[in-house]
Amino acid sequence: MLLFRSEEHVDRWCLARDLQRGALLTPEQGWQLANGWYKDKLKPDWRRHTLEETEALLKDVGLTGPFWNLRD
Amino acid sequence: MSERAGGIEGLASEVRLYVFRQAAETGRVPQPAQTASALRRTEDEIREALKHLAAGKVLILAPNDGNIWAANPFCAVNSGFRVQANGRTYWGICIWDSLGIPVALGKNAVITAPCGDCGDPMSLEVRDGRLVRSEGVIHFAVAAHHWWDNIGFT
Repeated sequence: MLLFRSEEHVDRWCLARDLQRGALLTPEQGWQLANGWYKDKLKPDWRRHTLEETEALLKDVGLTGPFWNLRD
Repeated sequence: MSERAGGIEGLASEVRLYVFRQAAETGRVPQPAQTASALRRTEDEIREALKHLAAGKVLILAPNDGNIWAANPFCAVNSGFRVQANGRTYWGICIWDSLGIPVALGKNAVITAPCGDCGDPMSLEVRDGRLVRSEGVIHFAVAAHHWWDNIGFT
């Protein structure tokens, strides 16, 4: 996922690649997502998040709806 | 393969700890030859352990040579997503991982990333566990369920 100057820049990037706009986050949401995902990564007992834990993290950050669905 | 340290699971755990600690402490992601030397294993053993870790989505291997591309959040190469923290320069493969570096390190950081469209440099700052300065918007191009179809393009 990339950082863009503005939504206009996102749309221009998508248009150039014949892509539809995906999902937008504020930098603060990205920060919260990174916090939930990486806070334990260097710990010896680190393990991957379960599907349920990942879903809960996305929900906590306000990322809900079909785009954020992790299941088939 | 040697059975010491509990077979592939044990070795993979040992490799994981070494790789991530080295990346955190130095800003450089160690590649198989270095890891083999440090852990007194053969390079083939280390490459097998890395494949095991990659299969578990613990890290990402480069598609051709089997070296580590990213021990997320740490990228092994200059990606354009620069993170200045801990007196060192780190790289993330994307803005999510770039924000993840100060999280993993527990350190303040200044992140510089190019606008995905025009390439202009943008800057974010993390201090005392908070994002204190930011600009722009983050865009996910790919729906969450398909991230691992091509983790290099999300």
